[in-house]
Amino acid sequence: MPEARDNDQWLSDLRSDGPIQAAALADLRAILLAGLQRGLTKWLDAYSPELENLAQDATQEGLVRILDRLDSFEGRSRFTTWAYKVAIHVALSKLRRKEWGNVSLDEMLDPNPEKGQGISVISPQVGPEMSFEQKETLERMAQILEEELTDRQMALMQAVVLQEIPMEAIAQKMGVKRNALYKMMHDARKKLKKRLMLEGLELEDVLSSSGEGKTPQGHVVQPGDG
Amino acid sequence: MAELCARLRRWFTGKGPGRPVLPPSSLVSIGKAIETTSDDEFDCEQTNRLLDQFAEAALRGEDSAPWMDLIQAHLDRCPDCQAEFEALLHVLETEDT
Repeated sequence: MPEARDNDQWLSDLRSDGPIQAAALADLRAILLAGLQRGLTKWLDAYSPELENLAQDATQEGLVRILDRLDSFEGRSRFTTWAYKVAIHVALSKLRRKEWGNVSLDEMLDPNPEKGQGISVISPQVGPEMSFEQKETLERMAQILEEELTDRQMALMQAVVLQEIPMEAIAQKMGVKRNALYKMMHDARKKLKKRLMLEGLELEDVLSSSGEGKTPQGHVVQPGDG
Repeated sequence: MAELCARLRRWFTGKGPGRPVLPPSSLVSIGKAIETTSDDEFDCEQTNRLLDQFAEAALRGEDSAPWMDLIQAHLDRCPDCQAEFEALLHVLETEDT
C-alpha cells in the first residue's frame, strides 16, 4: 500500500535522493500502473497482455517524464491526478502509434486511393429531402471549400472531421506535434469561417435541419473503422 | 509510376484533378466544425495543461468557470484530448479513497 502524501510531500520526496526518493518512486509507480490498468480498459481488454504491456511501458516512460517535469507541476490539482494525466498521455500516444503504425500518411489522408480519386470537394449531389435554399447553401459552401483549401488541407479536414482519425496518429506520421496539427486545422477553420461571413452564407438553417448536431466524441478510431 | 507522380504533384502543388463528391452529410459535418470555430479556442497544449484541474472540478460537479467552457469546447472538437480526459476521469472515479 503506497504511503499517503500531500502534494508538498510528493515533490519533496521525489526531489530527494537515496531511499526516500526510491520509496516515493516505488509508490508512484504502483499508483500509476494501477491507474493505467483501470483507465485503458476502454481501448484494451482488462487483464489482457496488451493492456498490461502498455500500462507497464507507459508507467515507466511516464515516471521519467514526471521526474523531468516536476517544476511544471503548479499544484492546481492533486499531484497524483497530474501524474495520471502525464502517464495517460504517454499511454494513448503509444497506443495510437501501435494501432496506426502500419497505415501510411497517404492512406490516412486519401479515403479512396485505389479509385484514383483526389482529395477535395465539388458541388454536392443533394437529395430531394433538402429545400432549394439548403441545397444552394451547401453547394456554395462546397465551392468555398474548394477555393480556400489546398488538397492537403481538405484531406486533413476529411480525415479528422469525417473519418475521425486521431490527430495524434496523423501528427506522428507528419513528424509534427499534435498541437501544431490542431493549430493548422484551427487556422483553416478560421479562414473558412471568415469567408463564409464575408459571403453572408448562413449555415444555421442547414445544420439545424440535418440532425448533425454533435461533434465527434472522444474515442480512438481503429484503422479500417471508417 | 505515373500515378505516384500525379499524387506527388497533387500533394505539393495544391489542387489536382479527379475530385470526389462529398455527400451532403459530410459537408454538414464540416460546416458544423466551421460554424463552431472561434478565434480564442484552447489548443491541445493549453487544454492538457489544465486537464487535471478540469477533471477534478468535473468530479466535484463544477462546470461554470469560463476557463472550463474553453476546455469543454476543445474536448468537444478534439477526440484525442477527449480520450485523454475520459481515461483520466475513469481513473479518478475508480480510485480507492
